[in-house]
Amino acid sequence: MYRLHTAIASAVIANCLLASPAAFASDDNLVSNKPLELDIHFHQKKFVYNNDWLVEKEAAKLTNLSLNNVASMATTNSEEAFNLMIASGNLPDIVGGEMLKENVNRYGPEGAFVPLNDLIAEHAPHIKALFDERPNVYNSIKAHDGNVYYIPYIPDGKYGRAYFIRYDWLNKLGLETPQNVDELYQVLTAFRNNDPNGNGKKDEVPFFTRHWEELIRLVTLWDGRSSGSDKYHDFYVEDGILAHGYVGDNYREGIKNLAKWYEEGLIDAEVFTRGSRSREYLLANDLGGMTHDWFASTSGYNDALADKMPDFLFKAFAPPASPSGKRVEEHRRSQVKNSGWAISYSNENVVETIKYFDFWFSEEGRRLANFGVEGVHYDMIDGKPIFKDTVLNSDTPVTSQMWAIGAQVQRGFQQDYANEEQWSNKFALDGIALYDQGDYLLEPFLGVSMNTEEKGVYDKHWITIRDYMLEMQQAWILGARDIDEDWDTYQDQLKRMGYPKVIKAMQSAYDRAYK
Amino acid sequence: MENEQSYQVINESPRSKKLTWLIHHFQREWRLYIMLAPTLIWFILFLYKPMYGLQIAFKDYSVFKGITDSPWIGLEHFYTLFENDQFIRAIKNTVIISGASLLFGFPVPIILALMFNEIINPKFKKTAQTIVYLPHFISAVIIAGIVITAFAPSTGVVNLLLNALGYDSVYFLTKPEWFRTIFVGTGIWQEAGFNSIVFLASIAGVNPSLYESAVVDGASRWQMMWKITLPCIMPTILIMLIIRIGNILEVGFEMIIMLYQPATYATSDVISTFIYRQGLQAAQYDLAAAAGLFNAVIAFVLVIAANTISKKVSRTSLW
Amino acid sequence: MSGVKLEGVVKSYKDVTVVHGIDLEVKSKEFVVLVGPSGCGKSTTLRMLAGLEEISDGQVSIDDKVVNHIAPKDRDVAMVFQNYALYPHLSVAENIAFGLRIRKVPKPRIEELVKEVAHTLELTSLLERRPADLSGGQRQRVAMGRAIVRHPKVFLFDEPLSNLDAKLRTQMRAEIKQLHTKLGVTSVYVTHDQVEAMTLADRIVVMSDGRIEQIGTPMELFNNPINTFVATFIGSPPMNLISTTITSIDGLVYADISGNKCLLPQLENPCDLEVIIGIRPEYVDIVPVDNSSAVPIHVDLVETLGSEALLHCRIQESAFVVKVDTHGKVEHLKHLDTLYFRQDAITVFDKTTGRALSRSSVGCNA
Repeated sequence: MYRLHTAIASAVIANCLLASPAAFASDDNLVSNKPLELDIHFHQKKFVYNNDWLVEKEAAKLTNLSLNNVASMATTNSEEAFNLMIASGNLPDIVGGEMLKENVNRYGPEGAFVPLNDLIAEHAPHIKALFDERPNVYNSIKAHDGNVYYIPYIPDGKYGRAYFIRYDWLNKLGLETPQNVDELYQVLTAFRNNDPNGNGKKDEVPFFTRHWEELIRLVTLWDGRSSGSDKYHDFYVEDGILAHGYVGDNYREGIKNLAKWYEEGLIDAEVFTRGSRSREYLLANDLGGMTHDWFASTSGYNDALADKMPDFLFKAFAPPASPSGKRVEEHRRSQVKNSGWAISYSNENVVETIKYFDFWFSEEGRRLANFGVEGVHYDMIDGKPIFKDTVLNSDTPVTSQMWAIGAQVQRGFQQDYANEEQWSNKFALDGIALYDQGDYLLEPFLGVSMNTEEKGVYDKHWITIRDYMLEMQQAWILGARDIDEDWDTYQDQLKRMGYPKVIKAMQSAYDRAYK
Repeated sequence: MENEQSYQVINESPRSKKLTWLIHHFQREWRLYIMLAPTLIWFILFLYKPMYGLQIAFKDYSVFKGITDSPWIGLEHFYTLFENDQFIRAIKNTVIISGASLLFGFPVPIILALMFNEIINPKFKKTAQTIVYLPHFISAVIIAGIVITAFAPSTGVVNLLLNALGYDSVYFLTKPEWFRTIFVGTGIWQEAGFNSIVFLASIAGVNPSLYESAVVDGASRWQMMWKITLPCIMPTILIMLIIRIGNILEVGFEMIIMLYQPATYATSDVISTFIYRQGLQAAQYDLAAAAGLFNAVIAFVLVIAANTISKKVSRTSLW
Repeated sequence: MSGVKLEGVVKSYKDVTVVHGIDLEVKSKEFVVLVGPSGCGKSTTLRMLAGLEEISDGQVSIDDKVVNHIAPKDRDVAMVFQNYALYPHLSVAENIAFGLRIRKVPKPRIEELVKEVAHTLELTSLLERRPADLSGGQRQRVAMGRAIVRHPKVFLFDEPLSNLDAKLRTQMRAEIKQLHTKLGVTSVYVTHDQVEAMTLADRIVVMSDGRIEQIGTPMELFNNPINTFVATFIGSPPMNLISTTITSIDGLVYADISGNKCLLPQLENPCDLEVIIGIRPEYVDIVPVDNSSAVPIHVDLVETLGSEALLHCRIQESAFVVKVDTHGKVEHLKHLDTLYFRQDAITVFDKTTGRALSRSSVGCNA
């Protein structure tokens, strides 16, 4: 695979040199008058920064600053790679990649990374404009000392997961798209009893999911909460007050109902162990009825299974209303990621580096980071970057093509949803349009940076509390325990385990950052 | 003055003698030391050097500050651990799972070895051995996959069997009461065959004339197994037992991570998985080190105890 | 009466035959020793007797009962192994009692028997020890004790002394002999050491290449070896052999040795023949006696043993050993140049088959 990418890349380079009307470096992109080369540790799971990326070469041409990778591919765990690097005490000029936020915000105040606040204000107009426009993003990336230590990857697009259901089954059984949780219950019951796949066996799995945490998220159908961010089991924020979903009364109501659904066979009996291949297996075998999963990849099954099952229609439907009448989609794309890049204390060209970081937030830099090189991967049509047909119609997914040239990798940059739109499946776009008609999304929790004291409280209690919550949660759903009987002792136990202390610590960290 | 001189003479003469002896010794035996070197270096680099890092169990460790510069905080991590009910539960689970593995898992390879020893047809013997060795070479991920599939409630072999016998399906992997059985059973299935090799080797070392003598004395095969084979491999069994006891707190952690569920934490959460969730996932290396150190100390005490008992009872010991 | 009888016993493994049909009868209370070089099939024969090896062909009977298909334990034999086969995890007493316990003999009876045997073998003080704490000789005695305690019909010994040092071996040899005299149990004993065979046996069976070469009392074998193999195997130093030709003059047979005529015993078909003549080192004279022929020699070396000395000499360029009494002096032996071969001390062998053509008659008065 790697070799293929290199081959493509070199072909493209050749092409570029010969034919393309190469963009001339405009002076405002230059970060240094002399060519400058900086070392970078950039680790993103399965790859590291590549000096030969076409996007890197183009950026170097435009900015006069090139990056040289020093990260090792010895591990696929970015956190481990980071730890190895920082433990060696030998920090390159720039440190970037995945799992960056917690680390830079911990070691930044200890002196490992350069505070960027003043640098941004003085030298990075594009970044500053973005932060001014979205103060919550800025607040969320601050360390507990109030400084910003990294420039984040800022994803674009609002929607991630959605409710999907077999429209063909609905049609076959003469059912309407469920509009509220009661109708959903009836639909799922019908899926279970009325043999929508028509094989005469009662083998349908009405609700399934690849990630059992998505089952828990169904408590939002009863106004409960499962997470406030794109991480599972996270805290959520409502009107400036932090809380955790798993202590609320609506959560209790939701779990009680889900336990009932589970017992009645409306939920995949193997939901906790079936794992990541369950969606593929249950759809391909005409067994699964409904799930809650990503727009793009789930919509893709309509194309993938078209030959095998001509009627197959698995489409998004609007979140069913809760008993109180609210329609909620709890999952949403994160507005800011914990990946990006930071300047280490050893960097001697701090100003040039922040200017370089800013380049990626300029119009030209952002296009480069999102679409690759003009004339090679995209053309400007009506003032908009449009992928070339060769890119869109390739056998390789567009994202993989982009990664191979160093675009869409998680450096500090702002994603442009326009790129994804161009290669998204029709059903996905329809679904997104459907979700756009309503106001389903909730206030996102973008995370907090805790100071030592708060972190001490959090570390001491939180994981234990979380594990206890999950343990009880599964026991309730599986019917091993009864939530109504347990609820009071559960609350007492959470208190005893220090839940109020954790919430207090979180709240104080939140208030410091966002108020 | 005189005293001092004589003191020096006395002190120096044996030392220089010793030095000459050492030089001669190395001149004569340097090849042996070269052969010893790789193991020695391995031990120093991978076992003794990391011991230096154990001190982070008593420190507020920061990766950036490094081991030396992180501040001491005494036993705080240990207090944190022992105030945590889940850690206490993890210790309990570790001991139970390990104890069960030892109790049920330790005899199986011995029984297997004894059974292999009784097989006369060499072809059948080889085939049987290969079949039971095989699972050892399968990676934990695949084993876990096999277990999950086999115990799945809808299409798992085990439940199909139960259904055929008229019982309802059981979602085994979410039942705390089943976890230990499944885990210990899987471990036995995977490792018993391979672990039997050492006992087979030991059996092969038994003097054949012992058996012949017993045959002439009129012993049956069963009696020979009990009265000759088993006692003769007893030293091996005891040594293996001591080693196992030393590892009693080390439960196959990858396997548990892949098989457990929050629903089964009550019986499945062991020290290593607890450390994994608390320490590594939450980047609390110092706490993880404290738990690991506790683990090591207990294991050390157990090995010493087991060795001493074995030495007293049967004159077999590791050292 | 517990005799042992082997008739045409054959042992073969797939295509290799290691014992080619053995006929042997061991009388009740007799001590028979199977002796031969390693690989001659003597141990295999013993193991077939014990039932540890299957009998490929022929018949083995103990006490007139065919035991070919009878399990070892039902043959009522006891075996002592070369490496003693003591159970390392059992004490001496338990080792001795092992066979009895297997046979479910009542406990008090076992104790009694063990005590008795321990007394016989002077093991009483060692009963609680483990084999690892015993000396070689003590272990050997325990192994014997284990055999004796069952009062079997037949004792089988498989090179029991070969792991002991020379001194201990001599001592144990005597003990075994005494024990046999005391207990009077039929015994078959395998060894590669002809001295052991000579000292222990009522009768010796010399084996080679899976066949019996000769059966006889020790003195029969010593004096009248049936062929050159037995002649050289039995006796230490072995019988001297000289290749030569014979001529018949006036009804007397002579051999030509270094140009001298040497008178031989009477042969059945004396004619011009290539033969080997054999003479035991002990039977060579250094002074002329009746019916002796002089043979010139050259002495290379005199080995002094005390009362005796070994003369290493050369006859016709081949080595020749003579054992002579010193009577306290050896100096004169170095200068010997002539030896005297008595007619009746000489055995004549066929050069091609190695079989004896004459029988020496010296044994009786030697």
